[in-house]
Amino acid sequence: MRGRGGVGAVLLASLGLLSPAGGAAAQSFLGFRALGVPVEVGNGRQAGLGGVAIGLPGAFVSPTDPAAAARLLLPTVTASMQPSWGDFEFGDQGGTTRTTRFPLIAIGYPAYGRGVVTLSLAGHMERRWSGVRNRLVTLGDADVSVEDRFETDGGTSVARVGWSQPLGDLLSLGFSAGRYVGRLNQRFDRTLDSTYVGPDVRPYREDSQWSYSGYTFAAGFGFDPHELIHIGGAAEFSTALAENPGDETTGPESRYDVPPRFLAGASGRLTQRLLLAASAVYQDWSGAGGFPDGVLSGRNLGWGAGIEWRMVEREVRSIPLRIGYRRGAPPFRFEARDPLESAFSVGLGINFVEIEGQPLGWADIGLERVRRDSLPLAESFWRATVSLGISSS
Amino acid sequence: MTPGPPSNRGRAVLLCALLLAACQEALPTAESDDLVRSGVAIEVTMPARDFLDRVRVYGGYGRPAELGGGFIAHRYGGGAAGEEAGLEAATLLRFGRYPLFATVTDTAGTARPDSSLTFLSGRIVARFDTLGSVHEGPVTIRAHALAEPWDGLSASWRHAIDTVQHQVAWSAPGGGELRELGEVVWDPAAGDSVSIPVDSAQIAAWSDTTDLARGVRLAAGTPGVRLQVVTSLLRLRTLPSLNPDTIIQVLATTENTTFIFDPLPPPPAAGMRVGGVPAWRSVLDLDIPATLTGPPSLCAELACPVEITPDHLSYAGLRLTTRVPHPAFAPSDTISIDVRSVMVPAILPKSPLGESLTGVAGVVLAPEWFAPPGGHIVEVPVTGLVRDLLGDPGEGADPVSSTVALLSSFEPLSLEYASFVGLGETGAVAGEPELRLILNFSRGGS
Repeated sequence: MRGRGGVGAVLLASLGLLSPAGGAAAQSFLGFRALGVPVEVGNGRQAGLGGVAIGLPGAFVSPTDPAAAARLLLPTVTASMQPSWGDFEFGDQGGTTRTTRFPLIAIGYPAYGRGVVTLSLAGHMERRWSGVRNRLVTLGDADVSVEDRFETDGGTSVARVGWSQPLGDLLSLGFSAGRYVGRLNQRFDRTLDSTYVGPDVRPYREDSQWSYSGYTFAAGFGFDPHELIHIGGAAEFSTALAENPGDETTGPESRYDVPPRFLAGASGRLTQRLLLAASAVYQDWSGAGGFPDGVLSGRNLGWGAGIEWRMVEREVRSIPLRIGYRRGAPPFRFEARDPLESAFSVGLGINFVEIEGQPLGWADIGLERVRRDSLPLAESFWRATVSLGISSS
Repeated sequence: MTPGPPSNRGRAVLLCALLLAACQEALPTAESDDLVRSGVAIEVTMPARDFLDRVRVYGGYGRPAELGGGFIAHRYGGGAAGEEAGLEAATLLRFGRYPLFATVTDTAGTARPDSSLTFLSGRIVARFDTLGSVHEGPVTIRAHALAEPWDGLSASWRHAIDTVQHQVAWSAPGGGELRELGEVVWDPAAGDSVSIPVDSAQIAAWSDTTDLARGVRLAAGTPGVRLQVVTSLLRLRTLPSLNPDTIIQVLATTENTTFIFDPLPPPPAAGMRVGGVPAWRSVLDLDIPATLTGPPSLCAELACPVEITPDHLSYAGLRLTTRVPHPAFAPSDTISIDVRSVMVPAILPKSPLGESLTGVAGVVLAPEWFAPPGGHIVEVPVTGLVRDLLGDPGEGADPVSSTVALLSSFEPLSLEYASFVGLGETGAVAGEPELRLILNFSRGGS
């Protein structure tokens, strides 16, 4: 079982490096006055299919599809890694971004053949950016140049526990309860010009820490009206997200409303090797409370679609190719314009061991070219989502 | 032997390394007022009454013999009207054992050690610090042989021996009975050294190392000068037995170099004094307030009273105003001063001191700052100290002493000392010490 040992090592490494607030997609100036940008939680297969969040056939553990794990036969572990690299521009400024995160780790465990317990830790929102400003301050009778730098790093994740239950051959249900976790570190650095002040001048630094708490609950279903068609839907409701100052941080507690989220998706097998999938996500942030004026986007609908073609299909092994496109609606603006996110994607999967169409060991990679616009900010970047999974008794 | 496939453990390590390598971060960074809300930077200058409880001056640290060189002065700094005699200073030297052998090239051209040396005569070579010396042209240098026993470490103008339990005065202040060796004129334009010949009889007399009276006194004959002696050597003309046709020169060791001077500067009636030899220290008892209620510019930005913590303090500088010292001891070259914590103020003046707060170089002071009329402001950085005083030392840590000493970077450093305006006895005086603080407060970011 040498192959499984290697996959296990990767999973172990992923576990060790998982960032609770992680999401490569989230490294952005977008939403800098609010909670940041949403983390794309999906696995490599979903990323390659245009971010289809729900409605994909098969049994797997997904934080966005509570019922997807209902037909797992064996204990399953899956984890994702997302490196991303790209650039941004607004006004006459531009720059690059680069990061790697581990936005998802999930476990499904069949319980006595009656259902499946699911556990997951997935990214939710992330705020990762830094701002710099050079200016003059008046000290005594002199104008002294200073450089101010403000860096913010952190975000929220959701730790979920759920239950997926098959009901007959056609229907499955899923429920989950989750807790928002996460932290935000902010650092303000000021460097004064030592030629005026003196060589003994020390940079001023102020660190602050914030933690997040709140709860979320989700319910969903999966339904196979035809042996070639699978549909799914889910609804997610959350309490307000509380932002609390750390022990050595002074500041008020803030509470942000998280509106309900509704997901629906479907997939159909066009030929024995060809699958078409699509999903939509609706979440209306425009009326959410707790945010500064002018921050919330009026857009509320995102969708994605993709095609999967099993390029190689053997008795216990297959290699699917994927292509997709999606349009998202990040909830928070950069300035006054509602943001829009779009991405073309391609993907490749390797199902190392597959029994009756159910992979027991797999690796997927989805490569996306993402563009976000919220004038005057424009960001474009590449993002790879690599996920590994293994099912074993 | 062909290499086999990597083991599972090797693959795992490789994968972990790749994953870690992929974790390099580059945050998006942009320059924008929206992204960085303003912080507040304030400069506050505290008057002495707000941070300084007391100033004391202590003297007597170190002695001239520790300086490693010497001074020569004659009626220096006495004033144009001659109301004061001015500074008199002489350098005392004691040479040690003459060399027992020398390497000599014999008549056959072979270099060999020769332990049978005949010392014919010698000359004293003294080299001066041309930058640290004050003169207005050629200077007459006089050399005398001492005739009274003296102590190379403790000798002073009035005492040949001046230790704690034993004092022996010179028969006459300034070196007692003297026997003239010679007189030369040092022309600074011609070089930085003088050479004074010594006859064979004197050389023979100095070869008796049990004679505690042996020694040389170098003094100036030209009034109004103060010379700094860097080195002084005795070169011996020697006739080797291996090659009697050749005269070679060897060096005698220098056992003691010190200087004596008169008058000793009296303790300052007011103000602060740093440096000199024996050295002076000024000790300040600080009381840094943890909250500020002014100035108005601060209160306009932040609600007063404002609590200041170590994190808020970007810079603290102790501002001192120079005074004109006694002309005889006024700096003629740069001197550097240091600030150190007084670890046990209760046992001053013998308290141990903490680490230097200004680094190895200290705060370098230019001599012209102490020229009339004085009044130059010197800023001594004390950021680390004030931060420590504002902070909580933490459980189990030693408390930070709020008493600091201003002293020369090395003690003793020079005959010269620095003078600063101190605390007024009855009220504030112009030029009192001030504490300049640069404080920062964040208004956070978006």
